[in-house]
Amino acid sequence: MLGMKTRKRSAMLLLSAVMSISLFGCSTGNSTTGNAGQAAGEGSTATASAETTKPAGGKLVLYSAGPQKLADNIISGFTAKTGIEVEMFQGTTGKILARMEAEKSNPVADVVILASLPSAQALKADGLTLPYPDAENADKLNKDWSDADGNYFSSSASALGIVYNTKLVSTPPTSWAELATPAWKDVVNIPDPTLSGSALDFITGYLSVNGDKGWDLLDSYKANGVAMAGANQEALDPVITGAKSIVAAGVDYMAYSSKAKGEPLDIVYPEEGTVISPRPAAILKSSQNVENAKAFIDYLLSDEAQKLVADAYLIPGREDIEATNRANLKDIPQLKVDWNWMSEHGDETAARFSETFK
Amino acid sequence: MKPVVVDNNRIFRRVGVILALFLLTISIGVPLLLIFWQSVYPDGQWDWMAPIRTITGQHLSGVLLNSVWLGICVVAVTTLLALPLAWMMAKTRMGQHRWVDVILMIPFMTPPYIGSMGWILFMQKGGYLQQWVPSAASWSELFFSFWGMVLIMSLHLFPFLYLLLRDAIIRIGGNLEEAGAVHGGRAGYRFRRIILPLLLSSYGMGIMLVFVKTIAEFGTPATFGRRIGYYVMTSEIHKYISSWPIDFGKATSLASVLLSVCLVMWYMQSAMSRKFTYRLVGGKGQRSKRYSLRGGAGWLCGLYLALLLILSVGIPYFSIIAASTMKLRGAGLSFDNLTLDHYRELLSWGSVSMKAIGNSLGLSLAASTVAVIIGTGLALAIGKSSSFMQRVIDLFSLLPNTVPGIVMVVGLILFWNSPWMPFTLYNSYGMVVLTYVVLFLPYTVQYVKSSFTQIDGTLFQAGQVFGGRPLYILRRILLPLIIPGMLAGWMMTFTIATRELVGSLLILPPSMQTSATYIFAQFEQGQVSLGMAMAVVTVGMTVLMLLGIEVLNSKRKWNAS
Repeated sequence: MLGMKTRKRSAMLLLSAVMSISLFGCSTGNSTTGNAGQAAGEGSTATASAETTKPAGGKLVLYSAGPQKLADNIISGFTAKTGIEVEMFQGTTGKILARMEAEKSNPVADVVILASLPSAQALKADGLTLPYPDAENADKLNKDWSDADGNYFSSSASALGIVYNTKLVSTPPTSWAELATPAWKDVVNIPDPTLSGSALDFITGYLSVNGDKGWDLLDSYKANGVAMAGANQEALDPVITGAKSIVAAGVDYMAYSSKAKGEPLDIVYPEEGTVISPRPAAILKSSQNVENAKAFIDYLLSDEAQKLVADAYLIPGREDIEATNRANLKDIPQLKVDWNWMSEHGDETAARFSETFK
Repeated sequence: MKPVVVDNNRIFRRVGVILALFLLTISIGVPLLLIFWQSVYPDGQWDWMAPIRTITGQHLSGVLLNSVWLGICVVAVTTLLALPLAWMMAKTRMGQHRWVDVILMIPFMTPPYIGSMGWILFMQKGGYLQQWVPSAASWSELFFSFWGMVLIMSLHLFPFLYLLLRDAIIRIGGNLEEAGAVHGGRAGYRFRRIILPLLLSSYGMGIMLVFVKTIAEFGTPATFGRRIGYYVMTSEIHKYISSWPIDFGKATSLASVLLSVCLVMWYMQSAMSRKFTYRLVGGKGQRSKRYSLRGGAGWLCGLYLALLLILSVGIPYFSIIAASTMKLRGAGLSFDNLTLDHYRELLSWGSVSMKAIGNSLGLSLAASTVAVIIGTGLALAIGKSSSFMQRVIDLFSLLPNTVPGIVMVVGLILFWNSPWMPFTLYNSYGMVVLTYVVLFLPYTVQYVKSSFTQIDGTLFQAGQVFGGRPLYILRRILLPLIIPGMLAGWMMTFTIATRELVGSLLILPPSMQTSATYIFAQFEQGQVSLGMAMAVVTVGMTVLMLLGIEVLNSKRKWNAS
């Protein structure tokens, strides 16, 4: 039995070594056979090149909350400009925070981009951010969304509105309260604020303006069968397919980009005003590549990157850049929200909201 | 009066047990202990009451009951689905259709959240079913309920129980039943007094794992459960780990409750297996009689199989494929809405998606191979769970299956990423393989154990009597008898590893994606069609691979049972 064990163990080591060496070869081989008509041309080197060549610029690790296409575009623009290779982890705000928590003792991320301002305020409060007051163009950013000492910069934002299926809805509701009327019974989704940073920003923002009376609206939503439905995309998809008619507090960039694709969607911003949810980027104090991280923030606030932001149907963080494919900040009726109140009451609001809507 | 060889064997076994314990402590025990440490020692001070407070507060007892009730119902329904099928495939001519096995693995290869999405798209208001049959609106109401969730989860998990039961029935063979028949036992009596007791040990193991998988499942509760407002432990744990604010302490407290439930289950199961373990694979040749199905019975069996395949594969995959070939999600089912663009985009060479597929295949191959080797060693060390130590190993090797994946993964990260580690595996390829191995070890252990416990010790004694050296005995007696179990474990691990999601989301190095995380990212990004296309491609590839193995395997002698 012992002989067997030791043999097993050595065999295991050998096997795993052989496996990991040979795998790349056979996995690419497999995938070529797996799809007919694929020419295995010059691509075979492309898979391995990223790991082997170290550019002069070094590297940067970025943790970014969606949208993915925008993040991809920004990274390739940044690499083209500086030669710095970017490794990106893409996920929701919650996933990124969880990952950072797990990596507490050995942090790897240099820069994080989140989709909720209070989360970034919490990072700053915990002393995890590295201030970068001399960031280029930081003076052109919207003051309400970024930190005066340069701990975080909101390079983009989305507004929350009422997203509706144009096949099912001919006259969209014009106010938040209207969604609680019988006409909209059981056909409305709302994103889960514990998953979606922007939905949390909307709910806390609404409450920061209306105080405890704001809960009356949310309670009447519940009574009217409004369903809490996961993160933004999960809330939106049933509306696209027609299982539901409306998303309350839906992020607008998703609505605009789906609409551009030809999906039967549109969005209205209620008259009494809505909340804008900024997407802050921050350099982490634990960063091993501070210079690269600073260069990345500079790039994020540059004209080039801000144009990419606008192309992704988001509101550019800089006030001097206009979007052409969506409603601009000045056209969106806003609630006078209190960000400090919001970051203090985020947790309890999210908890009470999920209790209400369970 | 025992020969020396046996004493040697005993020493070897003891060393094996110690080795196994050491391995498991490092890979599973310590990471989990670190989690508990975090839950009672937050912010540098002891707080023993934290887990207790978490459980008693916040209405979590209801959530716990929800989990357990769901587990019980899924066990009941999987039994109803798997038992008749296992009997058919073991005892009748239908068993010659090996392809059925591979098809039946498909539900298991499908990421649970994709399968649930398929059902949701099919059954929801304005879904595919209603686009065909507008009058089916009332079904939708019925389906979006607790029993709909039980059905989806059972259809996802039954192949697992089926494989275990089928192998056990085959091992029982015909002799014992014939003996019963000779002595005048009727079919029902024979089933009750011969087959059932002999099946119980495998069945117990199977339902325990089904139960545990159900209460540790995250995909279906996250998609379907949320829709119907049915919340379970995993969704709560996941909430504390993946949504703001993060609270590992609460998550680990909940995980410990889940763990306790599973330990109780495990204890009951191991007590039952010990009582009902029989030596079935002896030195005598086996004749297994296969019924040829004629007339009504044949039709009935065929119909049953067809229905099962339609429910477990047909409907979800109709939805998945339909969703992956739609130009516009809002335009519904129509021929002018068909497109293969998503596949074209997905399979363009050198794209992110192609790299993700390569990563998935590579990682799964590595992980399943390592897991089978270690798992077989562990199963042999556990043996018949006779000593206390062996039961401890048994428990340890099952732990990853009883702890929700996400908790296990966080434990692993805490361990391999801690400042006092001389080297860090975290954020490397090796870490991913290690995680998969740890997560899926229980499958191999269970499969191999289930085939090993039924081997009669006299076989080894016979080998020794005829002068066989331990290695020779291993090669010529033990291995041939447990290889089917090893293979089943390997296949199981491979298929689950290709679709593992929750752990991968947390553990993959930045910039690295597997097909499952790619799919998930597409759902998050609103590219549902692209995600579904990826699901079709990944599952399709896995099926082809398993079919290949099945073909090779059926040419082998040891399958002639």
